[in-house]
Amino acid sequence: MGRGWRELCLIVLPTVAIAAWAPNLYGNVLLLFNFVLYITLAQGMNAIYGFTGYLPFGYVGFFGAGAYGFAIAAMAGVHPAAALAVAGGAGIALGLILTPLLRLSGAYFAIANLAAAQAVYQVVANPALAPITKGPYGVSLSAVFAPRASYLVAVALMGATMAAIVWLRNGRFGLALMALRDDPVSAASAGVNIVRARTIAWLLSALVASLAGGAFAWQISVFYPETAFDMSISIFAIVFTLFGGAGTLLGPLIGVLLLYGVYNWIGIAVPQYFQLIYGALIVVLVLFLPNGLVSLLTQRGIRVP
Amino acid sequence: MRRLEIKSCIRAAAALALLVCTAGTRAVAEPPAPAVIKIGSLHAASGAYASISMPVYDGLKLWIDRTNADGGAFVKAYGRKIKLQLISYDDQSNPGTAATLINQLITQDHVDLLVGDSGSVLTAVAVPIAREHKMMLFDPTGTGAKFFTHDNPYIALLADPASTIWPKYLADFLINQGVKDGLKKVAILYSTNDFTSTQHEALVGFIKASHAPIDIVFDQGVPTSTSNYTTLIGNIAAASPDAVIELGYVGNDIAFLRNLQDSGQTFRFIFALYPGIETDEIVKNVGAQGIDHVFSYVTAQALDYKPTVGMDVATYRQAFETAYRSQGVAFGFNAIAGYTVGLMIGQTLGAADSLDQLALRRALFAQSGHVRTLDGPFELDATGQQIGEITPLGQLIAHGNTVTNVVVYPPSLATGKPVYTTP
Repeated sequence: MGRGWRELCLIVLPTVAIAAWAPNLYGNVLLLFNFVLYITLAQGMNAIYGFTGYLPFGYVGFFGAGAYGFAIAAMAGVHPAAALAVAGGAGIALGLILTPLLRLSGAYFAIANLAAAQAVYQVVANPALAPITKGPYGVSLSAVFAPRASYLVAVALMGATMAAIVWLRNGRFGLALMALRDDPVSAASAGVNIVRARTIAWLLSALVASLAGGAFAWQISVFYPETAFDMSISIFAIVFTLFGGAGTLLGPLIGVLLLYGVYNWIGIAVPQYFQLIYGALIVVLVLFLPNGLVSLLTQRGIRVP
Repeated sequence: MRRLEIKSCIRAAAALALLVCTAGTRAVAEPPAPAVIKIGSLHAASGAYASISMPVYDGLKLWIDRTNADGGAFVKAYGRKIKLQLISYDDQSNPGTAATLINQLITQDHVDLLVGDSGSVLTAVAVPIAREHKMMLFDPTGTGAKFFTHDNPYIALLADPASTIWPKYLADFLINQGVKDGLKKVAILYSTNDFTSTQHEALVGFIKASHAPIDIVFDQGVPTSTSNYTTLIGNIAAASPDAVIELGYVGNDIAFLRNLQDSGQTFRFIFALYPGIETDEIVKNVGAQGIDHVFSYVTAQALDYKPTVGMDVATYRQAFETAYRSQGVAFGFNAIAGYTVGLMIGQTLGAADSLDQLALRRALFAQSGHVRTLDGPFELDATGQQIGEITPLGQLIAHGNTVTNVVVYPPSLATGKPVYTTP
């Protein structure tokens, strides 16, 4: 059995099985949904940041585009399954429009991407577009509200995203991406089509976020532009990915399970100390583990899936 | 002898049947009373909605503390007073977190009563969850029109008028009196969020439906995150309006009024939404002179209703400021809203036959039209929207560092006449 199949069987499938079974063990399904959602988003972030080095601060733009793609389709009477396809299409379309941003790099790319997400948010929230997006008045999808079905869709999406990361980590294309991340000039001279490879990773990442946005819209069903384009969604996806370790399959997964677990535990058990504890935790980790938790193992020469 | 035995048997059977029935009835009518009634709520201690959420939370907490100090709330279902326990989580103004925590309150904490956070954005995510779990959502100030539908019995807006009611008197004033006073060209600037956009839509609708000779010369929505209005004020001035109406959240109003002061521009009639709602907060940030002669809504804190339940505004203000002076939470309309939520919960518990959620709804709706709090008459429409409270038009007049809100419209409530500034 190859390394990729091992990762698929030992990590991806058990994660999907546990997530699918978890609602039978724990009643707060929305909390479980958020875990699944952030694992998906962190892995989507991983696809672009972990493999190409591009850090999209405005990742929530794709998420919001997907949420509104789903909402507009669902309000038009489209079946939720087809509406999810529309959500994915919205993300891909936005990704294509924003492809020129890939000419930038580092902080410039991050800031330009953030501005692009804000621009999309303002367009969606514009009262002049209310007949289509409902503008600032928010959308209500009570006609298609199905929390259990949307949860299972989110779990399936998480599994597919993790499988894509396995493919990237073990396939020729993923190696090409990592090569261009480390040294674009050398990668190009070795025959890697830089523009094509980056664009595919970018669109893959956009597709994941927009499908996650679609599942979120289906699960939440009543929301405003502020909800779908909430910057904290980007921040969480970035922090969880960095905390666990970008470029790996396990890193973002561990990042979400630990950090989002702690986030919820503090928020529920000792909410009065929330910001103090959570802030201190992140500061300590940035200071002492800048490459994420998995670096504890990789520094010792241990390969982390 | 045989007849006697039969009679005895019948008597014994009847006694047994009576015993069984009585025991059964007692078992149904008098379930063991809980040690506490659990009230679950959310608040935002940080983030964009903290300024409107924390006063509501503090007001509710104050009502619970005082009720518990009095031995608890009278719960009709158990025929006695029971202490209240508030379980409230901080959602940090994050809708996703709010959704998770509302679910936590329902599925893990098993609260008896569910209170949403403030404002429409944070309330929105709670509406479908409460409905899915068949929990009555006691909605303090989430006014989004989409929340209230005839097929959802699990929500009621307790302490804030429906968004469409807010600008009614403002529109009536412009139509009936403003035109006579020469206010014929109107500029409207609003923030593009549900609360203010709905008011904008209603205001424009009222004006157009009246066919009054009012020309809307400027009508623009701006993002709620807008913090600099200098250019917009210049654009408004270029349209030469007689009246300028700015509809925003607290932060928007503060920025608008500051920029207006700095610009030196004056208009005959300036309306801003929050100076009459969170007066202390606005005065703290803009100064009393910054809102002198500005028109705004008049809310409960200036109307001084004579309540049939709970404290009046003056007594409550004193209690609120005594309790929270050290925390720096400004007293305003939202503080009143939080206390009003508590009062209506108390009324509901005192009237409900059981803690079943639909029984709670029936008890709450039964209060409609029969109760007046410091927030005004409590009245719900069939979908659960608050329609009893009104928002007359007022004008803020500065006296040194203090401000009073003079009611100028409707005439039946007016305590003064409008004073227009000279541009």
